[in-house]
Amino acid sequence: MKKTNLEEINRNIYDIKNKDEYDYKIKKGLTKEIIEEISKQKNDPDWMREFRLKALEVYNHLELPTWGPDLSELNMDEIATYVRPKTKLSTSWDDVPEDIKNTFDQLGIPEAEKASLAGVGAQYDSEVVYHSMKEELIKQGVIYTDMETAIREYPDLVREHFMKCVPVYDHKFVALHGAVWSGGSFVYVPKGVKVDIPLQSYFRLNSPESGQFEHTLIIVDEGASLHFIEGCSAPKYNKVNLHAGCVELYVRDNAYLRYSTIENWSKNMLNLNTKKAIVGRNAKMEWVSGSFGSKISMLYPMSILNGENSKTEFTGISFAGHGQNLDNGFKVVHNAKNTSSVVNAKSISKNGGKCTYRSLVRVNENAINSKSSVSCESLMLDDISISDTIPVNDIRTDEVEFSHEAKIGKISDKAIFYLMSRGLSEEDAKAMIVRGFASSVSKELPVEYAVEMNNLINLELEGSIG
Amino acid sequence: MEEMILNETPVRTSRNFHINDIKLKDIMIPENMTSFHNVLIQQDTSDISIDENIDDISCIYGVGSPLMNMPSNKTLKMTINSKSNKEVKVDFSFNPDNLNLMDKIELIANENTNATVILKYEATCNEACFHNLILKVFAHENSNLNVIIINFMNLSSHHFMSIDNELGDYANVNYTIIDLGGKESITNYYSNLVGKASQNHINVIYLGKENELFDLNYIGELRGEKSDIHIEVEGALADHSKKHFKGTIDFKKGAKKAKGNENESCMLLSDTAKSLSLPMLLCSEEDVEGNHSSSAGKIGKSELFYLMSRGFNEKEAMKLMVRAKFNHIIESIKNETLKEEILQKIDERLD
Repeated sequence: MKKTNLEEINRNIYDIKNKDEYDYKIKKGLTKEIIEEISKQKNDPDWMREFRLKALEVYNHLELPTWGPDLSELNMDEIATYVRPKTKLSTSWDDVPEDIKNTFDQLGIPEAEKASLAGVGAQYDSEVVYHSMKEELIKQGVIYTDMETAIREYPDLVREHFMKCVPVYDHKFVALHGAVWSGGSFVYVPKGVKVDIPLQSYFRLNSPESGQFEHTLIIVDEGASLHFIEGCSAPKYNKVNLHAGCVELYVRDNAYLRYSTIENWSKNMLNLNTKKAIVGRNAKMEWVSGSFGSKISMLYPMSILNGENSKTEFTGISFAGHGQNLDNGFKVVHNAKNTSSVVNAKSISKNGGKCTYRSLVRVNENAINSKSSVSCESLMLDDISISDTIPVNDIRTDEVEFSHEAKIGKISDKAIFYLMSRGLSEEDAKAMIVRGFASSVSKELPVEYAVEMNNLINLELEGSIG
Repeated sequence: MEEMILNETPVRTSRNFHINDIKLKDIMIPENMTSFHNVLIQQDTSDISIDENIDDISCIYGVGSPLMNMPSNKTLKMTINSKSNKEVKVDFSFNPDNLNLMDKIELIANENTNATVILKYEATCNEACFHNLILKVFAHENSNLNVIIINFMNLSSHHFMSIDNELGDYANVNYTIIDLGGKESITNYYSNLVGKASQNHINVIYLGKENELFDLNYIGELRGEKSDIHIEVEGALADHSKKHFKGTIDFKKGAKKAKGNENESCMLLSDTAKSLSLPMLLCSEEDVEGNHSSSAGKIGKSELFYLMSRGFNEKEAMKLMVRAKFNHIIESIKNETLKEEILQKIDERLD
């Protein structure tokens, strides 16, 4: 069968570059003086300044990963770790400078806020420029604000949780994050409060040769529930940009949290992000993840099932094109009785792109009667791409039901032939099969984001065929 | 005693997952390897020539340099010319006079040949024995070779195997590895399926008890068009035994229409047994089919209950279940005496 030439994505709206204008940009590099200057610029309390300096020490002691994609092109001496945009935090889009507002407009954020969100946070470079939430949630005691405000207004709550779920010594880029973090969102959902409509934070990095290190801290208290959506993008530059965010999620007893991400960083971005959830008794943590952008991605969300009967699900897709190396996956640790995990991971590689599914399932001695089921499928769209599956399964008790299965292959010629016999062109048939392959992820997203994800897939496929 | 780092995976993952390699501390490599005499060779054909002189052989991977570079005290080169399936069985018996064996074996299956080679390693004493095998196989065009390796070492022994295969066009190499012994049993298995439509099927059984450790590293690289590898690993772990299974199927560019399957299943017979697995699929070719599955769990309660309701006590029922799990692999062995021996050893190990 004739092979269809699949070009790279027309990233249109995502590649809009604004002028590199800022209120303050720290000099490139990573030294004690730079960390102290970031702390001063951010007006940190003393404990945070000390925390940052300690994290820098840890960073200097830890090695780069000895596995995964080659990170040798990352030179911290060429990265500015803090860029403050030329605006203050606003609660009205009218107060956001025109060029920044236009960017978020074109990304569809204010429109989505009106249509389907209970609250929105928008970060531009290193600081949050807009944050707002519906009045009724404020009345119910829900807190949704930027991290800097949270440190000022809820110091005890933040200090009790900040980098306790993801300690700085977890790996080198978490330590880096601890030293230079800026921006991000803080969410607290009080006991029993059900937030029916999602909250969304959107992270946009505009400045070249810089990094974004936002910190997201979410506490869903006992019996509460929340759906949180995270989006991210950046225009493409010639030199590398770095994203080393950190997401810490506390899902208390009987609580529910769904954390959805559509990641569409530019293809000069190194995305070395860390996400972890601690899940309490009878609680449920769901991850939905679509990974389309970045030059290199190393992203392995993790659920730690500490409470009896706790559950987690991961549904994710990675789509790697030319020049991309997406090393993504999931980690789960079963630490209590009757816990369960379900993983459904998919990847698509094309045009020389590389996708790796890397994972860990650990069922500890005390996690009796636990269940874990993992399924991963990889689709190769041509013979110059690469797809690897590297799952580790660590079972330490006999009272367990564990299964893992994986498949690698190409689009079935028979399926294309069938669809063509029903009147579809070869291109439409392929596109339909790819969309079907991705549907288990897109159907888990709110409709607007499912549409965005399908558009990304269509752009990857349709823009090129013919 | 120096720590040895052995059996590294072809691709690394996070160090925190403790599976990239195995670190062994208490292994004393014998310094003076005297000749190993207790070797019995049985064969029913002159179409397989056996020579004790061997050229130096090397492996692409192997368990690790400290063991690969040891001087050998037994070498065998078997050249297969038989057209119908002929059998050679080599028994290595460890006793107080033959405690240490470093054997290097070369198997050459010439074009259009057919044979079965059985290598059996058994300790008939309780002393700690040391066994280190390097096996190199060349399967030439259209050859059909069955290799059966039996590990009946005792629970104080160290058992290492480095196996390296190269398969020509239409070559068919089947392995059955029955891994039932050793304080540690470390296997590094590598196949280069470079030949068009070459096939390599590997069936493995392991059964751990007490503090036994199995570290099994199976690597198949598919290069030939329509090449096919199938790795089937069935195991059971009792007491404090532990297993690391590392299986890699690597589709190299050019392996169009190649197939790779890998199934690994572990039955946990004790709440202190541990199963760690890493079934990898690496793929640089579009037109392939790769599948792997891995599972772990306890003996099925309802099956156990059924057997007990039919008059078996719990231990007998458990033995039956383990034998049933291994049955499809044991049944593939044509040598009836050997089959009986294996079943008997499995029963003994579960007593």
